[in-house]
Amino acid sequence: MTELIEHVEAAIQRPNFIAFVILFLWGFYIMVTHPNMVKKLVGMYLVQTSVIFLLVTVSAKDHPATVPILRDVDIESGQIDPTEYANPLPHVLTLTAIVVQVATLGVSLALVTAIYRRFGSLDENEVLKKIE
Amino acid sequence: MREHLPIIIFLIPFFSAICMPMVGAKSVRWCRPIALLAVFAMCVPAVVNLVLVLTEGETRYAFGGWPISGSTSSAPLGIEWVNDRLASIMIVALSAIASLCLIYSGPVSPRSLGRQVVLYYTLILMLITSLTGIIFAGDLFNIFVFLELAALSGYALVGVAGDRALIASFRYLILGTLGATFYLLGVVFFYATTGTLNMADLAQQLADKPDLLTNKAVIGGTTFMFIGLGIKMALFPLHGWLPGAYTRAPDAISPMLAALMTKVSLYAWVRIMFWVLGAKAEFGQVHLLTLLGIFGAIAAVVGALLALSQHDVKRMFAYGGISHVGLILIGVSQGNETAFAGSMFYLINDAAMQAGLFFIAGVAIYHHPTRTIENLSSLRNGSPWIIATLIILAMSMIGIPPTGGFFGKWHIILGAIEAQNYWAVAAIIIATILTMAYFQRLFVRIFSEPEMPADAEKVETHFALRFSIAATSIVVIAMGICSDPIIRVFRDVAQSAGLGAN
Repeated sequence: MTELIEHVEAAIQRPNFIAFVILFLWGFYIMVTHPNMVKKLVGMYLVQTSVIFLLVTVSAKDHPATVPILRDVDIESGQIDPTEYANPLPHVLTLTAIVVQVATLGVSLALVTAIYRRFGSLDENEVLKKIE
Repeated sequence: MREHLPIIIFLIPFFSAICMPMVGAKSVRWCRPIALLAVFAMCVPAVVNLVLVLTEGETRYAFGGWPISGSTSSAPLGIEWVNDRLASIMIVALSAIASLCLIYSGPVSPRSLGRQVVLYYTLILMLITSLTGIIFAGDLFNIFVFLELAALSGYALVGVAGDRALIASFRYLILGTLGATFYLLGVVFFYATTGTLNMADLAQQLADKPDLLTNKAVIGGTTFMFIGLGIKMALFPLHGWLPGAYTRAPDAISPMLAALMTKVSLYAWVRIMFWVLGAKAEFGQVHLLTLLGIFGAIAAVVGALLALSQHDVKRMFAYGGISHVGLILIGVSQGNETAFAGSMFYLINDAAMQAGLFFIAGVAIYHHPTRTIENLSSLRNGSPWIIATLIILAMSMIGIPPTGGFFGKWHIILGAIEAQNYWAVAAIIIATILTMAYFQRLFVRIFSEPEMPADAEKVETHFALRFSIAATSIVVIAMGICSDPIIRVFRDVAQSAGLGAN
């Protein structure tokens, strides 16, 4: 029981992670259950966004950090406090992941448009019925 | 010059892909020669690279001269490409099979693609580019980006035929994106725990701090990566997108996808498994390799069973491919160099076989509009080469010497016996018998029909089709005959992956 309380406490201290889990599962649920293709894409977008959100979360620092542009002062003294600067790598990864996500969304919307033009419906069950 | 070979190999299809729409806007006739030239031009540095790597050892490419894993002075900040023996062999296989697929697509593409030929060549060169990227990639995030790039070209290529292919493509897109997202999630977990994405650096950290392997984030990250790549490689319970996509894809495209997409994803997993986590990785009480072996065994048997129950030829071959992914996973997971060498040999061999089988299925649809096994006997009207190749490929799929399939399976079984995993041996044998069963179904249909009517029109198969189909059977036999040196190279690779005889 105490272990459970510890887990809950640990979770409450990290609201971002809870938000990630909720977003991820929500998107996943929409993706799996909705027959409407556009809604499936909305779910897919949520899932992808949640992972990017996690990537940003793990790069956050406890107290305010700034962009990693070193001022002359730092270089002269040779004293650089890493906690003052944000880690740029996760943000770059985030940018790349967002670009990939947007490209995927573009292709998927084009596909859905083509399906709608061909079958006149966005409902997966209806489209499958029309095929048979 | 030598260390720049990987990037040269990568840039050839990349630039051709970018130039293709411009060329196509001017004149469609030039698209095909340029695409062919690009893949042939890619083969040359690939072979040179293989020879150099085998004789002079591996190289690592540092993009922009940033420090990479080998440098001692600094943490690996830059993007790294690993050009070792495994990667260079895979690149040769990739460029050779891509050339065959492009030769084959010539006569087939106008019918199945219509006016979209320009886009077809653009996308297929982009696909080759991104697969090259996955093979060379030395860090986890790069694999993600190239995986998505390959998948994006794949979705478009599957959907280009319109009609029912659109639905198959949409399903592929939903599952494929989910797979990539899972993979990215795994990468995020790894990054959050270790602060690095470089594979060599990650492996070093995991070796230095053994308690990292009991860290929940690393376990979770590995699981997510495996699920993600499992969707991409169509491992059995995650294979839902594959049969539809391969069956509905235009005939010019399905050989390429079948031969390369799943195999390269499997290769990416092998890289992560052995070059990052290490062969001895254990999570708590569970030995990771044992778990993989079980997944592989299930996939091998169930895939073959599902193939046995199909009517559509392409769908049957697609399920055969799923079964073989399982077989390769069994070999990888035995934890000794014999089985590892056998499975890597089988991976390349399987790429050639899958390409060949989908070539034949495409010819059956192209010349004799038939998709089902029941009507396949019309293949007898065509060139005898087609049937002969089908027999050779079937021998290789089943595993009859002297084809490459036999030697691959043989070494996997030897390795499994060495590791005393008798259930794995049993799974391979059951899968082999089932493979035999579905090919027997195929051949009964082809040969049991009474004499073809005398006035049946003889169909002369196009030279490009005959050439590419015959080439796959030659590759399969040549791989069988030259299996010994190739296996020996893979044994060395296995030793460098920490699978030595100990």
